[in-house]
Amino acid sequence: MTVIVELVIILFLLFGVFLTLAAAFGVIRLPDVYTRNHAASKSATLGVMSILLACFLYFYLIEGHFSSRVLLGIAFIFITAPVGGHLISRAAYNAGVKLWDKSVRDDLKNKK
Amino acid sequence: MLVTVMKLSLILITLAMLGFIYRLIKGPTIPDRIVALDAIGINLIAMIAILSMLFKTNAFLDVILLLGILSFIGTTAFSKFLEKGEIIENDRDR
Amino acid sequence: MAFQILLNFFLAFLWMFLQVSINSKTFIIGYLIGLILIYGMRRFFKTELYVRRVFAIIYLTLLFFKELIMANIDVLKVILKPKLDIQPGIFALPTELKSDWEITLLANLITLTPGTLVIDVSDDQKILYVHAIDVPDVQDAINGIKESFEKAIMEVSR
Repeated sequence: MTVIVELVIILFLLFGVFLTLAAAFGVIRLPDVYTRNHAASKSATLGVMSILLACFLYFYLIEGHFSSRVLLGIAFIFITAPVGGHLISRAAYNAGVKLWDKSVRDDLKNKK
Repeated sequence: MLVTVMKLSLILITLAMLGFIYRLIKGPTIPDRIVALDAIGINLIAMIAILSMLFKTNAFLDVILLLGILSFIGTTAFSKFLEKGEIIENDRDR
Repeated sequence: MAFQILLNFFLAFLWMFLQVSINSKTFIIGYLIGLILIYGMRRFFKTELYVRRVFAIIYLTLLFFKELIMANIDVLKVILKPKLDIQPGIFALPTELKSDWEITLLANLITLTPGTLVIDVSDDQKILYVHAIDVPDVQDAINGIKESFEKAIMEVSR
């Protein structure tokens, strides 16, 4: 039983770490702010969620301590991550950061 | 086994953070730097979760919530400052 | 809807007092029995049963997690591909949702799935401007969002 639980925890941890690494790689590699924001938000949602889920499972199943704060942390990240991403990209657009040269279309330009 | 994987993932998250720090220093525009800062804050949360598992203590779990709130407020303040030049607007008749 | 939930709670507490056992197990049983009673008398309520809306919310959550995982895999493919041949762009997404919280929910769900990101909302709240990391076909992307998220949100709010 303990072996299975440990295996599940290890799986969640490795998945989250892999997503985080891929997000860092994407932030370095992608060409402009908007595409980088996509990569960063991926790390925020699924990567940290699976690491926090592993933390919750560890404390619940191995230490025997139901930690509701971790669940609250997951919910909080879920609420704040999109708001933060939206604010950054809107600020970038209004501050006049250009899109990448190879972007195919820009409908927002015709707004005003 | 579990301890080894935890240590390994701590090292890998540190590597990812180094990538974000590269973007934080290099980043051609200011929004790039804000994106990197936000991601660093989120990664710190993951790091503290793994550390508290490694030390077998639940004393650090408050820090997770606190860091989440602080990094969100930081991002909001930075982007509002970038957009309008002030963080708390005095006149609200927009 | 609020009236039905209140009535359901009242029936559950009534069951608890009838059984003279004040604990959560009796409460759950009483709640289920009250649900059956309300379902039996659904013709006497002016509004429709609130259970349908609860199911719609559960469906929306499941749909969101499915979309989250699919979109993560898509963005992962884009990042790890050795050659960078993406076509990012901002497209306008016309929406039929009216009230503020529906539009907020839609924008949050779109932003939470990686690969799409709401940048701005037009002043009359009819158009969302969405930045997507890879849009080979704009109409396809618009239809994808409208078919999945907007429909599910309308099921909840209607």
